[in-house]
Amino acid sequence: MRIQTRHTKRWLAVSLVLLAGLFAVALAGPYLVPHQPFKPDMRQAFSPPGAGHILGTDNLGRCVFCRIVAGCGTSVFSALAVVTIVFVFGTGMGVTAGFLGGAVDRVVMKITLVFQAFPSFILAVAVAGILGNGLANSVLSLCAVYWTTYCRLARSLTVSLRDMPYIRAARVCGAGKLPILVKYVLPNAAPALFVTAALDVGSVVLSMAGLSFLGLGAIRPTAEWGAVMSEAKDYLQTAPWIILFNGAALFIVVTVFNLLGDSLRDALDAGGEI
Amino acid sequence: MENTKPASLPVLLKSLLASLGQALLLVAGITFLSFLLTYLSPGDPAEQMLRKGGMMVSEEAVEKKREELGLNEPMLVRYGLWVKNLIQGNLGNSYKSRKSVASELASALPYTVSLTALSMLFVVLFATPVGILCARWQNGVFDNVWRGITYLFSSLPSFFISLLLMYVFALRLGWLPVIAGKGWKGILMPAMALAAPLSAWYIRQIRAIVLREIEKGYIDGLRSRGIPERTILFRHVLKNSLLPLVTLFGISVGNMLGGTTIVESIFSWPGVGRLAVESITARDYPMIQGYVVWMALIFLAVNFLVDASYRFLDPRVRRGGA
Repeated sequence: MRIQTRHTKRWLAVSLVLLAGLFAVALAGPYLVPHQPFKPDMRQAFSPPGAGHILGTDNLGRCVFCRIVAGCGTSVFSALAVVTIVFVFGTGMGVTAGFLGGAVDRVVMKITLVFQAFPSFILAVAVAGILGNGLANSVLSLCAVYWTTYCRLARSLTVSLRDMPYIRAARVCGAGKLPILVKYVLPNAAPALFVTAALDVGSVVLSMAGLSFLGLGAIRPTAEWGAVMSEAKDYLQTAPWIILFNGAALFIVVTVFNLLGDSLRDALDAGGEI
Repeated sequence: MENTKPASLPVLLKSLLASLGQALLLVAGITFLSFLLTYLSPGDPAEQMLRKGGMMVSEEAVEKKREELGLNEPMLVRYGLWVKNLIQGNLGNSYKSRKSVASELASALPYTVSLTALSMLFVVLFATPVGILCARWQNGVFDNVWRGITYLFSSLPSFFISLLLMYVFALRLGWLPVIAGKGWKGILMPAMALAAPLSAWYIRQIRAIVLREIEKGYIDGLRSRGIPERTILFRHVLKNSLLPLVTLFGISVGNMLGGTTIVESIFSWPGVGRLAVESITARDYPMIQGYVVWMALIFLAVNFLVDASYRFLDPRVRRGGA
């Protein structure tokens, strides 16, 4: 048990270091890149990866590496924004529904069922399509898809916690509804919700890139990876490296967040067992 | 008389009716949410319908059309009108092509259905044996290699996989056309692009299902009776793993329908996904709305069928137990 704990702790540490690195690139990277990520230089157009530009240049001669670094923040922080919003909103709705029970509970659960009845990406595309493109709208559209998970999870956790002996004891001792909710229910529901959130970031990053690829997310000249790849698909024959490296960047970010989610899950499970 | 009939049928019917009631409630919710999306959308349908070729129309004409379309009614009345039309199959006309939304969707749908059916076939034919073999040789070389591959494919966006396929098979090797066209060659790449990430997911799920089955006591019983490992795996384990597989199928149809939007646009496959993306670019709200309603209803119908088939396939559910 001890060895396994140390093992999971090590993985958690590794993924936290990687996450810190990702944040560093997203925040400081744009100021440190060797070339201007947004300034066209037609003489340099379509240079393959090499000494001058480590990952080559695009159709306007802009450095692919610099643009990937410049777009990192958009992908990472918009995905984190989505997860934070749905975490807070979904948990709030779910805990309220579970704690109050009765008609409120039934109505909230039916609403989540309706949202889940839509194929998820189609709901996102429809909401983003109706709201019009732009980063904020694509964040909102993904919130419409992801909040139901947190609502249902928080609700079922609350229902199972509601009748626990220690909650009953608190009630007998005269604790009010809100203090019980905040002090006893939420902290015990939190680990499962946090693990779900960490595991969701990767999939949100991918969906966000998908929306941008369809032209529903970030708009030019933002170097958002999905949008860049959508533009670069016309030059697939001449400059395949643009798509290859942007795709690799997406893969790395998704992997870092998945690693964090997995190790967080293992660590919290192990913590619960000791 | 009633008692001589098998007890299973009324129970089955009752549970089917209950889930039908649930489905109807969902249909009401789906239509309302779809209606709300367009209700909240910017732009005036009356003006959109009257405007032709960028010509301005008079305020009076727009107001008359608004009255005619019932746009001045309160929201719930408009929803009622819209549902009434929906039941009659009338989703309005596309702003862009001026044709009826229903007929546009109906002519694109066969392409999406054939695309999803073919990729589903790819997934089942490919993922089932690989998943079973991964479970068979758990933690062996084969299992570990496939764990890596499935991880890679589940962390890559589908448009990236599509573009890679396009680069390799169309641009480098020249085996397949870049633009799909309508022939059999055109469907191959989009089908593969849809199937790849889904296969990765299926392989992992099938592996887990088979492993869970192998751990059960009856497998030990079969082994102790000297039944060969292969017979156990392919006859007994596979048969009992079918049920969870049917559930997976229901879940993945939603993934498929969503995935077609991107894949169809990349390969110019003339299905509903591409139609939807084009409608969004053109701000063609009735078309978007029609698309969303249709897809949600198809998803619901598939899940209902999966649910129903589950009841028929599983004797425990059929007899009303469990």
